[in-house]
Amino acid sequence: MKLAVESLPDLSSGAVFLATGGGGDPYVAYLATQKVLAEHGPAELIAVDDLDDDAFVAAVGGVGAPTVSLELLHSIDDPGIVLEAFESHVGRKLDAIVSFEIGGGNSLIPLIAAAGRGIPVVDGDGMGRALPEAQMMTYPIAGIPSTPAVALDYAGNMATFTTDTTATYERHIRNLAQAMGGMITTVEHPMSGKQLKSSIVPGTISFSIEIGRILREHRGNAHRILGPLRKAFADSLYGELCHIYTGKVVDYSSAIIGGYDIGRAVIESFDGSGPALTIEVKNEFLLAKIEDRVVASVPDLITVLDYETSTPINAERLRYGQRVSVVGVGCPDYYRSARALEVVAPRCFGFDCDFVPLERLTEHHQSLI
Amino acid sequence: MLRIGIDVGGTHTDAVLLDGDEVVASTKSLTSRDVSSGILEALETILSGDSGVEKKVEAVMLGTTQFTNAVIERRELAEVAAIRIGLPSGRGIPPKTGWPGDIARCLGGNVYMLRGGYLYDGWLLAQLDDREIDTVIGDLKAKRVEAVAISSAFSPMNPEPERLLAERIRAVLPEIHITESHSIGRLGILERENAAMLNASLLGFAGRVVDSFVAAIRERGLNCRFFISQNDGTLMDAEFARRYPALTFASGPTNSLRGASKLTGLNDAIVVDIGGTTSDFGILQDGFPRESNIVIDVGGVRTNFRMPDILSIGLGGGSLVAADGASVGPRSVGHELVSKGLVFGGETLTATDIVVAAGHAEIGDPEKVRNLKPEVVAAAQGEISSMFNAGIEKMKPSSDPLPVVLVGGGAVLVTEKLAAASSMLLPEHSGVANAIGAAIAQIGGEAERMISYDKITRQDAISQVTGEATNVALTAGAEAASIRVADIEETSISYMPGNTVRVRVKVVGDIAGIGQTSGLEAKV
Repeated sequence: MKLAVESLPDLSSGAVFLATGGGGDPYVAYLATQKVLAEHGPAELIAVDDLDDDAFVAAVGGVGAPTVSLELLHSIDDPGIVLEAFESHVGRKLDAIVSFEIGGGNSLIPLIAAAGRGIPVVDGDGMGRALPEAQMMTYPIAGIPSTPAVALDYAGNMATFTTDTTATYERHIRNLAQAMGGMITTVEHPMSGKQLKSSIVPGTISFSIEIGRILREHRGNAHRILGPLRKAFADSLYGELCHIYTGKVVDYSSAIIGGYDIGRAVIESFDGSGPALTIEVKNEFLLAKIEDRVVASVPDLITVLDYETSTPINAERLRYGQRVSVVGVGCPDYYRSARALEVVAPRCFGFDCDFVPLERLTEHHQSLI
Repeated sequence: MLRIGIDVGGTHTDAVLLDGDEVVASTKSLTSRDVSSGILEALETILSGDSGVEKKVEAVMLGTTQFTNAVIERRELAEVAAIRIGLPSGRGIPPKTGWPGDIARCLGGNVYMLRGGYLYDGWLLAQLDDREIDTVIGDLKAKRVEAVAISSAFSPMNPEPERLLAERIRAVLPEIHITESHSIGRLGILERENAAMLNASLLGFAGRVVDSFVAAIRERGLNCRFFISQNDGTLMDAEFARRYPALTFASGPTNSLRGASKLTGLNDAIVVDIGGTTSDFGILQDGFPRESNIVIDVGGVRTNFRMPDILSIGLGGGSLVAADGASVGPRSVGHELVSKGLVFGGETLTATDIVVAAGHAEIGDPEKVRNLKPEVVAAAQGEISSMFNAGIEKMKPSSDPLPVVLVGGGAVLVTEKLAAASSMLLPEHSGVANAIGAAIAQIGGEAERMISYDKITRQDAISQVTGEATNVALTAGAEAASIRVADIEETSISYMPGNTVRVRVKVVGDIAGIGQTSGLEAKV
């Protein structure tokens, strides 16, 4: 399948929906992708099943603070430069590229790299959403080593990594990103086509385009968009979409604790009646509670929509007084396996509760209403 | 205490004379080509009742859509050289990337990218290069460039590279118009740079327009203070407006919403401003316009101005009506209504003709629409109501009905209670709500800084930024005692050391010497 410039606006907004508050604003990456596709023609998007088992694939994307990328702009040739450096480091040419998270700029950077090199992008990613740490990706969960990896900063400085565990890799790239201006581009998780088939969350790029199309065509009051969105998710590898809450942001505070953005949003109903919804943020929206009752939690998706336009809102753009609708979506089954929950359950983020699937929580939530 | 509010729109120039809370006089006249004679005419009308009254007027506040219209209609825009300091970041994404072709052409092709700027943590992104700067200045001189917009990475945190470059340019080209991006926008270099470019492009026009405003007011013997209203319903003085015309982009809808609040005493309502071509729906929250949550396009250019959330639909007094009455708008005869509409002896069936035919208004000659079929009139009336209902439903914050305030010259189009409204108000003076909104505007001040909460406490950080915002408001003419904090915003920078937080504070206050008044009594 060819992915042309015309699909980029839908891909960007759909990817913000799936990013559950993280991932940052994709606008700069969107402009860069637009130019690269205009120059090199549409990107080739292939299904993971069409990849040879012995094909050589790696994940490409940006690592750092979304707010930094608002000022320290990506360069259009960065993905190509880091790709070439990676290939000369490992001594092998890549046959295809894959995204490490569908969300913000990271859903687009692989397209820039691939279109420039004339190799395909595999339709899918390593999260099916956005999550804050490298070891939370499906690739390492499936046992694929994170390195050898190469990182590039805005000025052309580069570093290579060889680490024993993904946890170590995460620690190293995080420190390097801080030292290199807050945002770096990496090529990592080199793997075979066969390994990717066993670990990818498939089809998330084309699914983002579909979500973006629905957001565009049904632009308007969030309640009206729930029907079409619910239908799209029902036909996907995600679980059910549920409306969690509608109201006004009455408080949003956040602070950096242990290198992460730890925050909390409180949303009250428009008329102030009934209990408020609290969303715990650790880079992404991770846990939604009404009083002490959890109504949705990671790894299920929690997304905040602008109530008037249904535009998904990133955590960094939450503001006092915004009118929003909060929706939850069951994560892909992969993340509900025991092996995945070892690294993405609420306790991995310091919350004192076990993971309960969204559909069971909302059943209870609805019965209380 | 007397004050005058003036609204200079694309078609009409409105003016009101307020004595405290009371509307003493109001008028609506046509905007003249030279702007100034239209204002003079309006002033003449509202000041005619009392000789020597101009000496008692303490302030004149003016709102205008001249600069928004210039951008939307692509006229009066000067060529702008865009200079971004930020290489080696952003290679391949120069200024103006993503702009619509027509406005990009208006601003010309002079785009420069220089090494320099800062990182989030205060480290140099790159060192400014003297030779690069000299080359750019030589080029500006050779091309006789009249306006320049300068942006630099993280300039809201550290504007030094922008200031330095502006000084170097002025030393060689003292007459050139310059807008430095840190003075007009917040974090988000592309949006801030776009805002700076639009602003720079309007500087020449702004000088001429503000001169004609001042000339008209002084010519009428008004030697009092003079302010121009901006996007968020606060005021700036004429000198500031000359330098920052882009800050007036949303003042039209803002003034109409604030005016509607004043006229009805309502703090929470839906306001529908009905003109000749469009109807604009906005929401009043606590007496102020609800701001949009999303990035704002001005004439197709992405900016990060804070602006009211407005829904515009193609329905107004001049909207064309299909022969069977089944559809109304979006095409309109606009200001030609007075010659093309049936009731004015023309040959085009318009929304105004429908209202007159239904017996709800006496405009022009009702005889001219006597022969319209009743079913056509009924169908068109039904369509008009359903368009208003749909607009209200779209904007309503919840399913609870809200009161709806109608303002603007086309308010006669609403002839029945709309199902989506809890009540309907058509206040007296609603035709000049914008001018009233301008007259009651406040002075605002905003400041923003990246601060490490490890270095100073959160409380100290907020009070430091509040102090800066207060200084901005004082400089702009606010009365110190009335200043209050309107908004505090803190944003953590993910992954960053030192607990770095972006703190932004907005304060508002009354114009020095003028107390805010309570709502005018609702006259419905």
